[in-house]
Amino acid sequence: MSYQTLLDAVIKGDIKTAKEETLKAVDAGQNAQDILDQGLIEAMNVVGDNFSKGAIFVPQMLRSAKTMQECVEVLKPHFQENAMTTKGNIVLGTVKGDLHDIGKNLVGMMLEGAGFNIIDLGVDVAPEVFVDKIKEANADVLGMSALLSTTMPSMSLTIKALADSGLRDTVKVIIGGAPVTRKYAEDIGADSYASDAGAAVNETKKLLNIT
Amino acid sequence: MEPGPIPTFQPRLKVLNRRQALAIHTSALEILEKIGIKMEHAECLDMLAGAGGKVFDNDWIRLPAYLAEEAIRSAPRQITLYDQLGNKAMPLVDENPFYGTGSDTTFTLDLETGERRRCVLADTANFAKLVDGLENISFAMSMGNPEDVSKVDYIYVYAFAEMVKNTNKPIVFIADRGQDMAKIHKIACLVAGGEDQLRQKPFLLNYSEAISPLRFPAHVMDRLLFCARKGIPICFPSGSNAGGGAPVTLAGAMAMGIAENLAGLIVHQLAAKGAPFLFGPNVSALDMKSAVVSYGCPEWSLTQAALADMRDEIYGLPIWSFAGASDSKVVDAQAGAEAMFSIITAMLSRCNLIHDNGYIEYGSTSSLEMVTIANELVAMARFFTHGIPVNETTLALDALERVKNAGPQAFFLMDDHTFENFEQALFLPKLLDRSRYDAWEAEGSKDLYIRSNEEAKRILTEHQVTPKDDGVLKEIDNLLNAL
Repeated sequence: MSYQTLLDAVIKGDIKTAKEETLKAVDAGQNAQDILDQGLIEAMNVVGDNFSKGAIFVPQMLRSAKTMQECVEVLKPHFQENAMTTKGNIVLGTVKGDLHDIGKNLVGMMLEGAGFNIIDLGVDVAPEVFVDKIKEANADVLGMSALLSTTMPSMSLTIKALADSGLRDTVKVIIGGAPVTRKYAEDIGADSYASDAGAAVNETKKLLNIT
Repeated sequence: MEPGPIPTFQPRLKVLNRRQALAIHTSALEILEKIGIKMEHAECLDMLAGAGGKVFDNDWIRLPAYLAEEAIRSAPRQITLYDQLGNKAMPLVDENPFYGTGSDTTFTLDLETGERRRCVLADTANFAKLVDGLENISFAMSMGNPEDVSKVDYIYVYAFAEMVKNTNKPIVFIADRGQDMAKIHKIACLVAGGEDQLRQKPFLLNYSEAISPLRFPAHVMDRLLFCARKGIPICFPSGSNAGGGAPVTLAGAMAMGIAENLAGLIVHQLAAKGAPFLFGPNVSALDMKSAVVSYGCPEWSLTQAALADMRDEIYGLPIWSFAGASDSKVVDAQAGAEAMFSIITAMLSRCNLIHDNGYIEYGSTSSLEMVTIANELVAMARFFTHGIPVNETTLALDALERVKNAGPQAFFLMDDHTFENFEQALFLPKLLDRSRYDAWEAEGSKDLYIRSNEEAKRILTEHQVTPKDDGVLKEIDNLLNAL
């Protein structure tokens, strides 16, 4: 079955049409995972590419992401015995002492659009809170953000806390935020660094060997 | 009766009419009354509740409009900043514009190599010294968040001490919370010769910000209370940037930013009636592709010009603003164009305290060259804003008659009127190049970036900052060593 109309609707951010198309596909007996993978995530790949190329603006990208989320809500009841398969669990948060979240929220929306499951812990997240959540969610990736150079050391402390609790090897760590540099990421032993939301998706895929 | 002199009209930019100004103000009051703010500081929340605010959902509070109106009335109409030698330096009142540098950038352009690298404490020293030597840059900010200060909790204390050691101009400073602010206050008292002297002749102003939308973190309010009680002038602009922390439409972003500013002002005046408060939010725009807060956009210049109109129509308080900055990654044509756009519009709209001069890369990188260029652009803007004096001397009919009567060899360049008036009548650039091509080539075909680099180096080498008293410097070092 072709998902072209659904793809177009998600790319355009036409929530109403996209939800109708999702329902239609379900009614036609399509597998929910296929609709997700070949319809919604495929559409978001196109949106992500368009955004990276500078062909669309942030609000248009976010509208597509929102369209996808609403379609996922439509799909959820139709994943029966097999739960929905995502590309991975990502724990996300702004580090302790820092209360800024616009950049981190953008990263979350982009990663969700790319098919990851996001557990967003919000702002001012202490190292032990990150550690507990990573354990509980069996997370594949930890994404940390800081806007202030004074709160950057919290990133390093969180990585230490991961090591102390024996989790460091089970989870990839990616960091970002205005004062963060690739060199800083290397210095504190993070696995990767992203300078913006688009790069965060690409870097995360690389970390998990997803093409 | 003799006819009086013809007053000189000074070019002036207006962007709001009275009804627009009142509508934005009313909307700000409605935000405080109906939506409320999230006040995370217990003492401030109690203070606001005691004054008539209505608490809901734990730490949210709605504030009646009269609290804002009272606070506007009790805050002083003028704030005078002194230099560190006790001279009146920046009367922030009415239409006086003063330009200065910006706060803590992550990176700076290395003066020797041109490389973009992390800031160190020595950069803050250099920026302060450069400001001291530039005639049109009136105040210093740190311009760098130093990587080489090991006691991270006291970064701002070190930066402040570094500024005190390298300039005598007024300082706009950042602090993290009450604790480091108290240390900074101590240093300032040492410089001023005591707490009363500092209160009488403040040479410093604190920059603190709430978080848009509508969030007032406890450590930020600690700073506000400290400043109010010590009489340290403060500005309290949240980053209510269009499309980011605030609605994308400029009127809505301004209304929200002003509501946040008014909430800060209310607490401030409740804590210490009559304490000095510099008004105004930062309303820039979030770039819709990169999601950076733009420092070169026309929106920010437009919203602060609008705020100047609101000051004149409603608030009467001196205002905070920005200029001389760019989103460009290098000091290039974009940097020059964006810097001049904000510098001239800030002056034409009569903003008061104008920071961030010398920023590139949307405020992530500072540049000594860019500050040096801004100094010249401010001079250019001042010349333009002074307008055209019209009187007997400037109409110069005598000169015209002399030149006409002196025969065909006479020309204005050699007339006494030119000699006597050219320095006031014309703008005489120092950094902007007007030399003839061959002369420019012979000098090394230098563009503005190279010339400003050389000028910055020259000032840092030659300029002498009037030194502070040895005893004061020693006490400052003792204080730093005890941190």
